[in-house]
Amino acid sequence: MPEAEAIRKAAKEAAAQIAGRPIKEHQKLVSSGLIDSLSVLRLISLLEKKLKISIPPETLQPEDFDDVETIVETVERVGTPLS
Amino acid sequence: MAFNSATYLLVLLLAVVVYWALPGSARRIFVLLAGLAFYASWGIIFVWLPLLVAVIVYVCGKQGHAEPACAKRWTWLGISGLLVLLAIFKYRGFLLGNLAVFSGSAGSSHSWATTIAFPMGISFYTFEAIGYLIDVRQRRVKIPSLLDLCLFFFFWPNVLSGPIVRARELVPQLSFRKAFEGRFIFEGADRVIWGLVQKTVIANVLGVWEDHGFAPGLNSRPSTLDGWFLAIAFGLQIYFDFAGYTNMAIGTARLLGVTLPENFRQPYHAATPPEFWARWHMTLSRWIRDYLFFPINAKWQGAPLPLYVSLIGVMGLVGLWHGAGWTFVLWGLMHGTYLVLYRIYEAWRKMPAGAPASPFIAVAWRVATLVAVFAAWVVFRSNNVSQARRILSAMFYRFAAGSSYPVLFYACTAIVGVLCAVEPILLRKLGEMEERAETETLSPFRVMVHPIAYLFGLLLFLLFDSNNAQFIYSQF
Repeated sequence: MPEAEAIRKAAKEAAAQIAGRPIKEHQKLVSSGLIDSLSVLRLISLLEKKLKISIPPETLQPEDFDDVETIVETVERVGTPLS
Repeated sequence: MAFNSATYLLVLLLAVVVYWALPGSARRIFVLLAGLAFYASWGIIFVWLPLLVAVIVYVCGKQGHAEPACAKRWTWLGISGLLVLLAIFKYRGFLLGNLAVFSGSAGSSHSWATTIAFPMGISFYTFEAIGYLIDVRQRRVKIPSLLDLCLFFFFWPNVLSGPIVRARELVPQLSFRKAFEGRFIFEGADRVIWGLVQKTVIANVLGVWEDHGFAPGLNSRPSTLDGWFLAIAFGLQIYFDFAGYTNMAIGTARLLGVTLPENFRQPYHAATPPEFWARWHMTLSRWIRDYLFFPINAKWQGAPLPLYVSLIGVMGLVGLWHGAGWTFVLWGLMHGTYLVLYRIYEAWRKMPAGAPASPFIAVAWRVATLVAVFAAWVVFRSNNVSQARRILSAMFYRFAAGSSYPVLFYACTAIVGVLCAVEPILLRKLGEMEERAETETLSPFRVMVHPIAYLFGLLLFLLFDSNNAQFIYSQF
């Protein structure tokens, strides 16, 4: 699995790309309405590409991607490296 | 016992005094007994139903948690049991009626199907129960005790019509160990009294004319002006009715030191159809998003066709959740179509989320959203599809002059519409006044304005409480 710092960097870049603006570390993404649940799916797809991992979204909820730190925790919890 | 009754207000006052006088451990039993009594006041024969729901989710959740290999099976077993109960108690008439039509035996009577009464709040606590089971399956919640779950399902502030709460946000608060703070009473009373005024003074007044305009036997096509005013008046009535109920629910919980999630954020100020659903009945939208829409689209990775089909299908189900009738399904399908049209526009423009549109496009979407939402309310309120068609045709293409209501109806609708339009400004000003008052010691605002506002609100309630109409959402 990638290091936490690499996940954090990828999460910030992917979230900024989806939102169309720079994202701060503790900025709420979903609960603030900045990105919606469909954008979360695009965010997951971007993270998978950037980190070369697989994230099974069936057991996740949009709030698991609510800010950069939560994204890092989620990816560390459910992400698996692509073989 | 309805929230909008003098009896409830007196019982609530007594309950709050007793609650804060009791020690923490006794408060749990008191709130459970109060919840049971409140639910029983709506029909004592159905008190066993939320209890059965609590037992089902307790057993299935505990077993699923203890046996991870069988967790999926236990989750589905629990969800199936809950849906069977919902089908029996809410949809039996609708299902049997439609089966009879399709099998050509329309008119045959299913007397048992129509004689069983409707258990209050079943749609709301069933969704809470399903959400809990999915959260257990996803290991998001610690397994509470059966007493915790009974408290959760019988918590009287939200048992009838929400807000739809997650067990993980309410159960930790049900230990009732908070020490008394004066702000709980101020914050709670503010919401209870404002909710009462919204319901009694605004929603009920508009409701009298709405009942006439949507009378079941009324077969004539209204004039264009009347069609539009009926649509707008109902949109305003249902907003102030449901927001009024929600304020009373949130306020009641706050009086006990408990925080419930918000349900509304000025929905008629939405700029797009998705934004409307982020502002209207927010706890239902959150439930649909987390437990239905997101898992379905996660499977298809947000591909366009499954997305559009799921939007329409899920919104059709949202309509059916509101009521067992085709007008509700049609209302949901209309909203599904609005959401699809907006997603197609988004994909065509290749817009990132939240990207600003040009001022003209932004205004066009804002107006289109408002018109589309009010048109859908006509379908929601109509007794059948043909009544909805008559009113919508008068609004959109079979224009006719004339007016059939007293001037007071048009004036009241216009005044409430303006109130709705300036609601964000009023709330901002109130917030600023509260902030200023908090920085002052023993400010006259804190000492006098709240009690005077409460007295004024109660006076309005007593003056307008002539028809004591039920909350619209308590029928769902």
